[in-house]
Amino acid sequence: MKRKLILVSSVLAVCMMSFAFTIIQQPKPWPVPEKDAKMANPVKSNAESISAGKALYNLHCSSCHGKKGLGDGSKAAQLKTTPQDMSKADYQSQSDGALFYKISEGRGDMPSFKKKIPDAEDIWNLVNFVRTLKK
Amino acid sequence: MKLKIKLTNCLYTLPVYLVSCLFLLQTTTLYAQDSTGVAKELTAPLKAKPVKNTFDGTWIIDDQTVMVPVKGTFQVDIMHRFGTVGNGYQDLDGVFAPANIRLGVNYSPINNLYLGIGITKADLLWDGNAKYAIIKQTKGESPVSITYFGDLAYNTTLDPDHSNFPHTTDRITSYNEIIIARKFNDKFSLQIAPTLSHQNSVNGYYTQIDSAGTKVFEEMKHDQFGLAVAGRYKISESTAIIVDYDQPITQQPTNNPHPNLAFGFEFTTSGHTFQIFMGNYQLINQSHDNLYNTNNPFGYTDANGTKVKGGQFCIGFNISRLWNF
Repeated sequence: MKRKLILVSSVLAVCMMSFAFTIIQQPKPWPVPEKDAKMANPVKSNAESISAGKALYNLHCSSCHGKKGLGDGSKAAQLKTTPQDMSKADYQSQSDGALFYKISEGRGDMPSFKKKIPDAEDIWNLVNFVRTLKK
Repeated sequence: MKLKIKLTNCLYTLPVYLVSCLFLLQTTTLYAQDSTGVAKELTAPLKAKPVKNTFDGTWIIDDQTVMVPVKGTFQVDIMHRFGTVGNGYQDLDGVFAPANIRLGVNYSPINNLYLGIGITKADLLWDGNAKYAIIKQTKGESPVSITYFGDLAYNTTLDPDHSNFPHTTDRITSYNEIIIARKFNDKFSLQIAPTLSHQNSVNGYYTQIDSAGTKVFEEMKHDQFGLAVAGRYKISESTAIIVDYDQPITQQPTNNPHPNLAFGFEFTTSGHTFQIFMGNYQLINQSHDNLYNTNNPFGYTDANGTKVKGGQFCIGFNISRLWNF
């Protein structure tokens, strides 16, 4: 009887644990090479840069990331990876260089933009705009 | 005794401490140099950059724009011109009438150069084209962008008895234009282009064929000059109103082509440009439109006193999809 109890409770525990892991699973972390993360933003974050970044964001990014970067764009539901909420602190805590790297290189659902936006200054403008989405 | 040992220890630890301090200082200094060095490089006074996105696509209804996408861009065009409006519901204002279609591809092998080929349903017309951005509008340097566009078209319809095209070269028409554009502000851009269309062969007939000599009357001249004006006005980040007007300048002896007045909307996304509009040009290929357009926008009374009806518009759309390799 005791053996049976131990067996049943251990099976239940394993089931619960495997189920628990699927629920609390965090979005796959995206490591950025140190060299890129340390890159400084050479473009001043003024009204002109933010407005240029906003135009690029609306054209290339808002369909997945949403108008305010919340990850609620019209295409977001079809994505395998949910876009991170750009208004939150853990997104905004990344360095400018890390954001530049992610926009340029892409990963999975997120396309690489270094060929579509070949001018580095434009990607820095995007980074400056994305900073304004912070809540 | 104890003091002695302490001093010795200090003597050993002090250099170690100093060296490690130096190390720390060194790395910190290096790091600072790294980032400020990069930042200084890029914020140094740069050469002014050309204005971006004078137009959001390479077509504006029936005209080419000054835009040449970056090197490595591949573009596919699908263009439709439906039948003329005027039959009302019977053919849904031309939408269900036979349509003219062009399928085209373009590629940019080097910066500022765009090469393309396409095929159009009307006349089974193959076209090969090249576009070169000569000058780009840049603050302090040039107030306008200037681009050259050239197109060669080849009619591949069957002509078994060689009555239409006695020679192969008779099937060729060409088109050359210089497009001059200015982006006035983020919302409004305008372009103007003098154009030259050329047809290798024209129809004609003998007005005199006797011992005195022969005279031929050519129904049309080989060359047709024109002027194309187009503009776009953005009403939101991704929507714009587009207008295109093409005016023939050369007076032809007969078969004078009609001008084109077209207007519509343009929708832009990251990879696509959609244009939907109404206009008079139906042949899509620029040399054919400029030489042979029979759709008349404005009613008028001709030299013989005959009233010519206007309002011969057709609905159409252009879809362009761009990839960057």
